Amino acid sequence: MTGVYVLAQFADSDALFAAARRLREEGFQDLDAHSPYPLHGAAEALGLRRSRVPLFVLIGGLTGVALGYLMQWWMNAVDYPIIVGGRPTHSPPSNIPITFETGILLAVLSAFFGAMALFGLPRPYHPVFRVDAFRRASVDELWLSVRLAKGKDDAVSQILTDQGALQVTSVEDDE
Amino acid sequence: MAEPRDPNQLPPDGPPTATATPDEGNAGLPSARVGTGELHAPHDPLEPVPILAGGHDDTSLTQVLFDQVWRKTPRGWWMLLLPCLALTGLLVFALGYTAVYGIGTWGNNIPVGWAFGIINLVWWIGIGHAGTLISAILLLFQQQWRTSINRFAEAMTLFAVVNAGLFPIFHLGRPWFAYWLAPYPNTMRIWPQFKSALTWDLFAISTYLTTSFLFWYLGLVPDLAALRDASTTRTRRIVYGIFALGWRGSSRHWHHWSIAYLLLAGLSTPLVLSVHSVISFDFATSVLPGWHATIFPPYFVAGAVFSGFAMVVTLIIPARRVFGLKEVITIRHLENMNKVMLATGLIVAYGYSMENFIAWYNGNGYEAFAFANRWVGPYAPFYWLMIFCNVVTPQIFWSKRARTSIWTMWIASILINIGMWLERFIIIVVSLHRDFLPSSWAMYRPTWVDISIYVGTLGLFGTLFLLFLRFVPAVAASEVKELRHELHEAAHHEAAGGHGG
Repeated sequence: MTGVYVLAQFADSDALFAAARRLREEGFQDLDAHSPYPLHGAAEALGLRRSRVPLFVLIGGLTGVALGYLMQWWMNAVDYPIIVGGRPTHSPPSNIPITFETGILLAVLSAFFGAMALFGLPRPYHPVFRVDAFRRASVDELWLSVRLAKGKDDAVSQILTDQGALQVTSVEDDE
Repeated sequence: MAEPRDPNQLPPDGPPTATATPDEGNAGLPSARVGTGELHAPHDPLEPVPILAGGHDDTSLTQVLFDQVWRKTPRGWWMLLLPCLALTGLLVFALGYTAVYGIGTWGNNIPVGWAFGIINLVWWIGIGHAGTLISAILLLFQQQWRTSINRFAEAMTLFAVVNAGLFPIFHLGRPWFAYWLAPYPNTMRIWPQFKSALTWDLFAISTYLTTSFLFWYLGLVPDLAALRDASTTRTRRIVYGIFALGWRGSSRHWHHWSIAYLLLAGLSTPLVLSVHSVISFDFATSVLPGWHATIFPPYFVAGAVFSGFAMVVTLIIPARRVFGLKEVITIRHLENMNKVMLATGLIVAYGYSMENFIAWYNGNGYEAFAFANRWVGPYAPFYWLMIFCNVVTPQIFWSKRARTSIWTMWIASILINIGMWLERFIIIVVSLHRDFLPSSWAMYRPTWVDISIYVGTLGLFGTLFLLFLRFVPAVAASEVKELRHELHEAAHHEAAGGHGG
């Protein structure tokens, strides 16, 4: 389905959130805000669910702990037992540091790559990048974007203008 | 700045965080951080000095913070880069020489089997720890003053850990077999020995390097996107565009970004404590007098933070001057770092006294001898120089005048860097050189290869740091803008008579 992105610049986050709520009431759900820093209250205004990143980190961390401990046990006590300093081949206290580090490592990797997967990045190209004015969204301006089917964009542009948008523009989604 | 006004109130349309002098105005700093969405009582009498000066808005902040990247390469940058590159060349040569002729070219002997290789590993890792402390622990404690210096400190961490990693790899003697340390299925059908503290090191340092890099990069992505979008030439747009990975400031992304960033901070905090603890286990789990001490892990961590903050101050003072960042990195940041140095310096001093006390109290003659040897042995001048640098020097930071004097703190921070290097020299070389039997005693002297490698890593660190300062904003612009809005909102909130939080 080819669609259209309607982009609107707002002076402040309150105006932007008000416009977002209005559009959601009108039934448009594919909304996004673009800002140079995280906006407080954006999650509520856009109706975002809780992020799943913490869950990824929990799973990653526990996997790291389990794999780290099992690795040491299997390698040093089962597959190639080495007796060092008269300690048993399976010596739990000496396994703790590496278990801790592998737990942290996998938790960190799942936080970073989990977030990247949720972002859908890396994705160097996006239709909104074709709007020149929109480039300031990452620098010093606040923008709202709505993705919708072709043909409805005039009505949405009108709503956004009524909500006090400083400028409204649209760009075709050619993917 | 003549008219008196409530320091918590900002004029509605006036410049946000408007005060330019440290003595007045804008005491109202909210304590809310990423994602909580609430602003706590903004008035905090403990924080009277602004953390952002100059009355910037987002546009001018972008100009100030990115100017260092956009401007024509200053001549001073080249003048610093060339000696650093020369030293890096020396490093490459000395490492190549070591690889070809073996570690017999180093000054190590028996009994001093561990010398520069380990001293410099511990020193560099310690320097790295301040970066993690600033970026992670201060984020968790909602200390907003960290925002201006965290990027800088994280970069320092990354480059310090890179340097630290070189030493153990080349100390192996046959560095091309370094991968044998990793547990991988091999034709010899053997595995690493995980009861050794040295294998713990491998896991701790490689996890630390990975985490530091990912944490730094995640924080950097929004700024790379801003650089891409604010750039005027096509080449820059493409290059920064590649590294920005297509970030478009989407709130749906920020939503995950904030929590991922916070979690990385939360994970880095125990990690940083574990890394230096694990490094101290290299010593503490042995039976050598001078090493076999339970106080080592906390004492090493405090020493690491101490030396790391000293290094941040050493580097940030020239950088804020050269790159015109005095309004973002204010005297208050420097003063807070000096307070951290004073606190960790006291912990380190406690560590020294406790080591000496235990050496006397436990009645072990070898232990007592090892410490007497530090006081009056052949390396005693280094011991007393260390006491001067690490125990006496930070005491000047009890005085507010010293804490806010640029020259005083810069010289003190350099002395502390020297003192912390000497501390590792004393722990390692002085504990080893007089073995249990006098017939085994030997003196240690570094060779030109040892010194070249050490000085070379300083050059490599400088080179990487200069490249960082040239191509990446040294201050996290997105975080500073967020902070500015938080301060602004809080001021309005207070002005409107609302109750915080």
